[in-house]
Amino acid sequence: MAIDIGFLRGVGRGKSTRGDAVNGPIENALSRRNFLGGAVMLGGATILTGCGSPAVEETPGAGASRQPIEQEPGELSIMEWGGYEAGGTKAQAYGLVAGTDYTDKYGGNSISYTYINNDDQALQKATASNTFDLMHPCVEDLPDYVSRGLVQPFDPELLASFGELNPFLLEAGQVDGKQYMIPWDWGYGSLLYRKDLVDEADATGWELAWNEKYADKISLWGGASTNFEIAGLLLGFPDIDDPSPDEIEQAKQKLIEQKPLNKFYWDNEYGQMRPAFRSGTIDITYSWQAAYASFADKGMDVGYMQPSQGRLSWLCGFLLGSTTENYYHAHDYVESFINRKASEDLVNLYSYGAANTAIDINKIENQALVDSLKLDDPMAISGDDVHLQKWMPNSAAIDTAWQEVVAS
Amino acid sequence: MLPPLLFVALLIFAPIIYIALFSVGLRSNIPGTEVAFSLDNWDGFLFGENNPFRARFFYSMRVALLVSLVTTAAAYPLAYFLSFVARQRRYTLLLLLLAPFFTSYLLRVLAWQIMLNDEGVVTWAARAIGLIADDGNISWLIYSTFSVSLVLFYTWVPFVTLPIFAVLENMDHRLVEAAQDLGASRWTTFWRVTFPLSLPGVIAGFVFVMIPTTGEFITPLFVGGADNQLFGNSIQAFFGTTNWNLGSVLAMALIITVVILMLIFGRFLNTDLRAAPGGDEK
Repeated sequence: MAIDIGFLRGVGRGKSTRGDAVNGPIENALSRRNFLGGAVMLGGATILTGCGSPAVEETPGAGASRQPIEQEPGELSIMEWGGYEAGGTKAQAYGLVAGTDYTDKYGGNSISYTYINNDDQALQKATASNTFDLMHPCVEDLPDYVSRGLVQPFDPELLASFGELNPFLLEAGQVDGKQYMIPWDWGYGSLLYRKDLVDEADATGWELAWNEKYADKISLWGGASTNFEIAGLLLGFPDIDDPSPDEIEQAKQKLIEQKPLNKFYWDNEYGQMRPAFRSGTIDITYSWQAAYASFADKGMDVGYMQPSQGRLSWLCGFLLGSTTENYYHAHDYVESFINRKASEDLVNLYSYGAANTAIDINKIENQALVDSLKLDDPMAISGDDVHLQKWMPNSAAIDTAWQEVVAS
Repeated sequence: MLPPLLFVALLIFAPIIYIALFSVGLRSNIPGTEVAFSLDNWDGFLFGENNPFRARFFYSMRVALLVSLVTTAAAYPLAYFLSFVARQRRYTLLLLLLAPFFTSYLLRVLAWQIMLNDEGVVTWAARAIGLIADDGNISWLIYSTFSVSLVLFYTWVPFVTLPIFAVLENMDHRLVEAAQDLGASRWTTFWRVTFPLSLPGVIAGFVFVMIPTTGEFITPLFVGGADNQLFGNSIQAFFGTTNWNLGSVLAMALIITVVILMLIFGRFLNTDLRAAPGGDEK
């Protein structure tokens, strides 16, 4: 999964979705007394209403009346990973063609992106603002998006390519039988390593990241849940996505044990991990398959480990914001990503799997990667040799435990 | 209280009160979560055995103190040169000193990352002159306390130069001439006249570095290793994920620390050398 410097590069715009009561006193009368009165009331209200937690908003029903597409604002605010912007936008600098159908029709300037670095951060950003028309997180946090009222179901009839999508992945994107997530991309997470510098005999399992022989040449990702899943695999937990408090403590200690071997924990694939790996600063790193394909394509002697405990696997897709005023535009946007042409582009550019099963796999340029990564297997991410990342009921405890690892 | 002051106070204190509510459990960022007053997070941070965040706080304070001292010491000769030696060219040189700040802070940190990494220009130069083997590296050059301190030093030197320069410019230079007329050497004049009079600028510069560095997180994120993240990184991470309550405890601890620092140093921040501490003109 490509990432970017979300907290620095975020360009999302908060949209007003209802009458703006806060601005009332300022707009009505700009006398100093009124202005100050409004300010004091605002501050007082902030403090007085400060106790509690945000209410869960009701999700609009499927049959809710909506304005026609011509009357929609048409300016999409999208929470996205860097590199996944629609083709035809200024933000898309990696050559992705997906999304071009939308920008050809509506223009590239009508879309603004807010960037995310990991799924924990994505959920937090969505919760904090709840103004995105579309979001592109991974499936493991879907129940949280739904329970927090951040999303609404898609209307499959508005997506021409819906019928071509992998039924297994579609089912993973459903909650209570409603299609909250439209799957688009899937792939693996494992250790990427320099075959010329790492002994093949050592690259057989996740314990490679704990091998002191490679101290200071390792870099794990700063994703809390992923690292606890890795530690869980290594420790042989029965369910790595639902660890008990005792197992969380064990995993934490395991990660603290690994920490001194790390050069750094990377947050940004293109800004940190890839340059460090390319320059030889690190020889072993957690990675998604796009980096492996990219380095291999450039002639580096790299391996993408198939750990004895299994790779991690992931599924990401589009979520429709519960407060969107661009219901039909959002569907058009998603369609421009899930159609065959866009899906083939995804596989060719990033070597990730596509949810669209109707793509002509023979058109994929690197057939060796198709075979080694099983990109033509619709059930690849649910195989015996992989662990599909799932919802973690105690993610808050895991987040805190991970920060303790980092601070220890 | 003056109305504008009231408005400014509101803008300053309302967010702090808001964060304080999170820190004692009276607010949650997770919708639907039941909230109740609790000091557990405070208790854990302040008194918990081997609390990693408390240890990180003290590590960060040590780094901030080190960077502040070294930066202030390095900025003083620069300010002195600009004020006493450069003369008519001083503002041109000052502009040159500030020139890097016309580019993004992030880009400058990334530039250091490129220069310091194992294939960067520093390692290349060390290999070229035989300091290290052709395939060797300098392990502490990047992703270390050294690299974090170096980039923070680079970042703050011009900012610290400014208040010291301002004080030296405001100083009554006739006092220097008088000391020399009375037979004091240059060194004695500096230590007994110039430096004492410039202390307010030195302290202001020190505070300029110390306070923002205590909450710094971007530099350690890019050039700090797994063991060199600062306290600000923990705060930023908590507010980026689910546990705003613990993040708020850390943020409040930092705010309280900064307030204490301001109270300690604030009384020295008068840079008008023509005014006595009591406010009378000399």
